[in-house]
Amino acid sequence: MGVIETRNVTYTYPGAAKPSIVDVSLNIEKGEFTLITGPSGCGKTTICRCFNGLIPHFYQGEMKGETIVAGLNVSEHPIYELAKHVGLVFQNPENQLFALSVEKDVAFGLENLGVPREEMRKRVDWALNLTEMYDLRERAPSELSGGQQQRVAIASVLAMQPEVVILDEPTSFLDPLSAKKIFEVIRDLNRKLGITVVLVEHRLDLTARYADHIIVMDEGKVALDGDPHEILRSEEARLIGIGIPKATRLYQILKKDGLKLGNTIPLSSEEMASMLTEALKDG
Amino acid sequence: MSVFSGLKFRKVSSPIHNLDPRVKFVYVCAIFVVAILFSEMLPLVILFLIQIPFVLLASVEREWLRSMRGAAFLATIIFLTNIGAAFFRDGYVLTAPSVESAVAMTLRFMVLVESFSVFFLTTSPDHLGLALEQTRVPYEFVFAFTTAVRFVPVLAEEAQTIMDAQKARGLELERGNFLKRIRNYIPILIPLIIGAIRRSLELAEAMESRAWGATKKRTNLYVLKMQRGDFVLIAITFGILVIAIYARLFVRIPTVNELLRSLP
Repeated sequence: MGVIETRNVTYTYPGAAKPSIVDVSLNIEKGEFTLITGPSGCGKTTICRCFNGLIPHFYQGEMKGETIVAGLNVSEHPIYELAKHVGLVFQNPENQLFALSVEKDVAFGLENLGVPREEMRKRVDWALNLTEMYDLRERAPSELSGGQQQRVAIASVLAMQPEVVILDEPTSFLDPLSAKKIFEVIRDLNRKLGITVVLVEHRLDLTARYADHIIVMDEGKVALDGDPHEILRSEEARLIGIGIPKATRLYQILKKDGLKLGNTIPLSSEEMASMLTEALKDG
Repeated sequence: MSVFSGLKFRKVSSPIHNLDPRVKFVYVCAIFVVAILFSEMLPLVILFLIQIPFVLLASVEREWLRSMRGAAFLATIIFLTNIGAAFFRDGYVLTAPSVESAVAMTLRFMVLVESFSVFFLTTSPDHLGLALEQTRVPYEFVFAFTTAVRFVPVLAEEAQTIMDAQKARGLELERGNFLKRIRNYIPILIPLIIGAIRRSLELAEAMESRAWGATKKRTNLYVLKMQRGDFVLIAITFGILVIAIYARLFVRIPTVNELLRSLP
């Protein structure tokens, strides 16, 4: 059984005419880097809210099916208990920072949990160092750039030492360079700390290379679920309209035109470049 | 953005800024009480002057002068009312004692404004929140306070953006009579309020996700500890109170007129 498992989850927001997600069953293994993608309004954000109990505790509405995260049935445990296991980072960095200084914000979750001060200090410094925000720890959030604010938000989730970190389009308010920096921080969480990462993202160009597992959603359903190389080469993925990495598209076009290329599908421009060098050497 | 720049708080360090806000508050209250005890000019002048070293130590002279200037209008009214009342009472003559008492009343007001402005100019909202928390004010209130301070600059910026956007669509804010001008602001206010509500929902979501309300016994990253400076300020406060009460009970305070006359 995976660290996140949903069984036939269907959910309708209060007052909505039709369900936002329909019969979603998926399984995310411990230590995996999972990418969830799909067109706007496909239910990505809704599924994230199911993972940490915001649905059904914070949002009322009608939920069917079961979500089990870190062995806990989400419907039976309050959000604050789930928060120790699952951290959720939101889209807008500005609206998830409440304190008047960076370090106070990172400490917020720990303060709520009643962690003793010495332990808290240690964990706050650790999280700030990981996200390279230690030097700015006394700044006010309004003095930071969007990318820095989002790093603080990630640090504040990390300080609670969750097993799973979920990031819901963490870079949609950011410029490409800050986005790249955020993705590198996220990759390190997964590679170096072994944290299970679930990333909801449109920018597959920058993120597909890190993924072990891709879930494509469409109209509230899971459309495709599996290995990134397999999924991104598939015709269905292209038809749903997800942002297939340009390197992958180039590979497909060249292959169609009869160029002899290896069989592993490139997910990043670096992979594509080395593949082309190989091909040119042979040719 | 210059209109809103005064709302931003910057972290400053000075001997006065670093004092425990609770001790500072007790000091302000003591000054308040002493100012009420005396209606003579001389002690109020002294009281006014006592605060100036604090302003200088904290190096907030500019801000302090600004708040003094802000109080000047009310002070003028107080002065004129007092002197006017005395003028009619004494049968349409201005006497030296009545001028002195009007000055004293004005000074009393200035001392109150001065001490409060020193307190607020040198206490960060963060510190204030911490002090409230450690005096057992429920955390929900403290949180509401610090979050409000946190989001003032954000909302100010948003208001500016909305204003620019509406102006770009032809809204004229500065046009029409007084009532019309107020009505002009409706297209600014409605998006601002809706935006704030939406923002508050997102905030609530983020708070929930970070274990809000997990335990009644919340801990805190910072703790206020009394330091040497705090004890010095307590001593000063106590000294001022003792001297003031002694002077009130046992000393006849000379008027400024008498002092001037006794000069050789």
